Order: sequence, then structure tokens, then C-alpha cells
Amino acid sequence: MPMLSVRELEAGYGPIRALDGVSLEVDEGELVAIIGANGAGKTTLLMAISGVVPVRSGTVEFRGQSITGLPTHEIVRLGIGHAPEGRRIFPRLSVRENLQLGGFTQPDRAQLQRDIDEACGLFPVLGDRMAQMGGTLSGGEQQMLALARALVGRPKLLLLDEPSLGLAPLIVARIFEVIAALAARGIAVVLVEQNARAALKLADRGYVLETGRITLSGTGAQLANDRRVREAYLGEG
Amino acid sequence: MSQPVPGFVPSTAPPGRPEGQRKLLARCWKFLAQRWEWSALTILAVAPLVVPALGGALGGQVTTLFIYCILALGLNVMVGYTGLVHLGIAAFFGIGAYVMAILTVPMFPFQIGFLAAAVISVLVTAGVGLALGAPTLRLRGDYLAIVTLGFGEVAKVTLRNLEQITGGMKGLNPVPPPGAGVTVGGINLGQAFAIDPRWFYYLTLLLLAGVVVAMRRLEDSRLGRAWMAVREDELAASAMGISATRVKLSAFAMSSAVAGLAGCLYAASLSTTADPNAYDFNRSIMVLCAVILGGLGSIPGTLLGVALLVGFDTVLAPWADSWIQQMNINPTGSSLLSFSGWRLAIFGLALVLVMRYRPEGLVPSRRIAAELHSAEGQA
Repeated sequence: MPMLSVRELEAGYGPIRALDGVSLEVDEGELVAIIGANGAGKTTLLMAISGVVPVRSGTVEFRGQSITGLPTHEIVRLGIGHAPEGRRIFPRLSVRENLQLGGFTQPDRAQLQRDIDEACGLFPVLGDRMAQMGGTLSGGEQQMLALARALVGRPKLLLLDEPSLGLAPLIVARIFEVIAALAARGIAVVLVEQNARAALKLADRGYVLETGRITLSGTGAQLANDRRVREAYLGEG
Repeated sequence: MSQPVPGFVPSTAPPGRPEGQRKLLARCWKFLAQRWEWSALTILAVAPLVVPALGGALGGQVTTLFIYCILALGLNVMVGYTGLVHLGIAAFFGIGAYVMAILTVPMFPFQIGFLAAAVISVLVTAGVGLALGAPTLRLRGDYLAIVTLGFGEVAKVTLRNLEQITGGMKGLNPVPPPGAGVTVGGINLGQAFAIDPRWFYYLTLLLLAGVVVAMRRLEDSRLGRAWMAVREDELAASAMGISATRVKLSAFAMSSAVAGLAGCLYAASLSTTADPNAYDFNRSIMVLCAVILGGLGSIPGTLLGVALLVGFDTVLAPWADSWIQQMNINPTGSSLLSFSGWRLAIFGLALVLVMRYRPEGLVPSRRIAAELHSAEGQA
């Protein structure tokens, strides 16, 4: 049984139907990439899974339990972490407070501190910036903070929305390294990316989303070698 | 920083002052900045012993100032920490005062002790806060401001017109002092409170200190962080597992409860609720201005804001007026020549200047702490 299964999901904003019957599955510890053009519905898909955008029809099941229509904070408590698009760190709170908030669901202070230390182990630069306001970090550091913050919550499934957006290539490489390391730790990841080449290289499986529908799916390598994907998303042919 | 740059004179150390003295000054300043509570508390605790005026009318005025500090700290939970605009805090102040009065004045059969009455009125105001918050928390920004504004007016009009219970424009009195009829160690507490304002001075100072400590702890608690997370970014907060609704409700309840505490102290210290106009929109705005002037979300800022605005209003302006009268500068009694005639103009000017030159408030929250920490890191 898959860890996350999404069936015939429809969601949108007012008259706009952003998701038009999307079905996908994520297994335990699997890294699944979702690629697609701007406006294809990638962000909406993640937000519908985590309950930020209301689901109009279809179902979302997480570990055998229906989470369709649950409020976001309850979905998060079940073990789905969401690092939303645009980083969304808390700008006027310190790095430490940002990380502490990432572990909001952890009532044990000592365990929370260990989780924070562990997350900072992945991004040592954050350890030096603990007392600094989140908003004063550089873009790359903010993205690292957003990732670390999501990890402090000990998610079983992590939804990552465009983690490479607007970052220097070196930092993108570091972020992707960490994402790969997460999968190795048994955390399942759904990775939404514009940077399709890097995402597919990393992913176990991938889906191509076009105007609210899944048009292609397969292993990362299959998709990366698919002619249509190469033409449309990898800038080849 | 250790090597003075030639030609550059740091403002804290005039040329020629020895290095050791400069370091001492810097250390004193740092101590004051980090341990301001202790310095302020010590000064305020010793003051009545050395300033005889605090045994008179001034003592009562400063007590009122402390009560407004508590009220402003309560408002700060909603406006500063949680970022919800609240324009009706005076209504909760008033409800606290009236519940206190209803439970203690001779007109009603309850006449319970001060402590029990205070606990009940804090619980009642928290309950009213929850009742107002629950249906309105979906509203954002301006709309929530309008609801709280409306509630403040409704509460005032209700207090005025519910004459059988609230005494209408006369208010409820006499509210007995704390410990009425209780004798401890040969001192009749009730009488002591009634005669010497320093008793109330110390009682309110103690409670203010308690509220400051509680707020300190809250700032660094899960709940406090959740308030600030909701203020910064509601969507990101919910992605942390925070229920924004519940967190906002708790802020509403906490603000109301602390305002209620201030209210029952107010009624007890004046021994009357005064008339309902004491809890009107102007009062709400004055407290809100104090919080904004001092620095949203900052405890020392809030206290300083109250000290400046309310202190100006209740202590400095009457004092200056009586001085002007004594000096016989204003024989016609023209309001143009009285200090309090200008108070709103001075308020307005002060706020405009602060917003122009220091929009984050006089003692902004956090940023200062963060700067101190990073300075420590470099040292």
C-alpha cells in the first residue's frame, strides 16, 4: 500500500480549475518529482494535499487514512511537512525561533533541541546565524532555513515546492544534495521543480503535470529520456 | 571597535577618557539594557521610601500609571505579538472594573473578598474575550478592527444604560479596598489601603512585575512563538502544525484577561468604577498609541510608551497646570495657556514624529536583543 495516494483530485480558485482529476502515489521513502510548466497546477497540487487549498472532489489518503478536507495543521501533525513556495520563513523571528516553530508539534523541549541540532547539521551555516532575524538571511540561507525548519517537524513525507527558485547554482547543488540525503533517511519527498533536469536525475519516479492533469509518469530516468519531456522541459530537440 | 579611529569621536566616550572608564560605561549600559527590569523595579520599589510625595496624590497617579502598564501589556499580546488590530481594549478594562465592583459593593448581596473578586473578574473578561473572538476571528485587519471598535462602543453604552446593575452614569461605589476587614499583625489592611496610597502603589507594582515576568515567559514559549508565527505568516504557521484559529483565540482571551485584571485594580484603587465614559474609545486609542509609540511586541517599549503618554496625561499635565496656576501666568483661565489644553496636540505631534523617524517604536522588540547577541558573538 502506498504511503500517499491521491485519487481524481480536483481543486481550484473560483471559476479556475487548477487540478482536473490528478491521481498519483508515493511510496515510503520514495522521492517523487513533479514537473510542469508555470500554471500547470504543481503548487496547487501540494497545497491541496496539505489542506491549504480546499479539495473540490477526489480523495487524499495518507498511510491508509483519509486526510481529504482536514485542516492544514492536523495534516501536518500526521507527518506531512510542507515547505511552501517562496520559502515563507518568518522574517521578523530569529533563525532559532523559526526552527523551534518547525518543531511546534514536538512538546518535549529536549527532543526539540536535538531535532534542531540535527537539522542544523545538514546546514552548518544556520548554526552560526541562530540569533539573526530570518529576514536578514540571504536567499540561499533562507531556503536552507525553510528546509531545516520543515525537517525539525520530523515529517514522514515532505512536500517541497520549488526549493531551487532564484538561487545560485552552487547553493542549488547543496540543496539537492540534502534532498537526496533525506530520501536515504527514509523520508518520502514530493519535489515540485522548474529545474526538471536536476529533479528527474534525483527522483525515483516522476510525474508530468500539464494544465491540471498528469500526462506522463515513469521512473526518473524514463522521463528524462522521453522525447516529449526532453523537448518540452529539458530544452532539447 | 577596540582601536579608536583617528579623527572619529565615539559619542559614548569623549576624547581623553581612559579606556577602563569607557569599558565600565559600556558594561553598565549593557547591564541596564539587558536587566532593565531589575533596575526599574528596584528604583520603583525604593521610591516611596525616599519620595514623600508618593504618599499623597502623586502615589495614586503613579498607581494608575502601573495599572495602565498592565492594560497595555495585555493589549500588546493581541496587537504586538499576534498582529491583530484591537480598538476596544477599554471595554475589557471596563468589564473587569464593573465585575469587580458588582462583586464587592454594598449595593449587591455578593460582597466577596478582593482576591476572589479579582479572580472571577479576570475569568469573566477572558470569557467575554473568547465569546467576542470566536465568531470574529475569520475577519482580518480592518474588519476585525471595526468589530472591536463596535464592541467597545456597545459595551460602553450597555454599561451606561443598564442602570439597575451598573448604576448608569454614577457608576458603582464604594468599591472596598483589598483586605477590608482583614487584620494582619495588628494592621487593619482595608484601612491601611484606604489611608495610604503607598499600599496600592506596592500592590499594583507587584502585579505589574508579575505580568512582566509572565509576558517574558510567554514570549519564549510555544504559545508565544505561535502568536508571532501567525502574525508573520499565517499560511506558513499552519504548515508548522499551528491552528491559527486556536492561537488567535488564545491571544484574544489572554489580552482580555490581562485587561480585566487592570480593570479590577482600577476600580479598587479609585474605590469606584467611575462613569462608563472612562472606558470609551479614547481610552482604547490612548493605550494603543502607547503600545505603538513604545514598540509593538516589546515589553520595555510598551512600558515606556505608557510612561510617556499616560504619564504625560495623568501626572505631568496636572502638575504643569497647577504650576502655571501658581505662577499666575494664566489669570483668565484660557485653555490656550493651560498645559492640558494642548495635550492632544502634543500626543499627535509625538506620534507623527515617532512614525516618521522611528516607525518600529522607541524600544523596538527583538531587533535590539538580536543586535546585542551578535555583538556578544563578535566579542
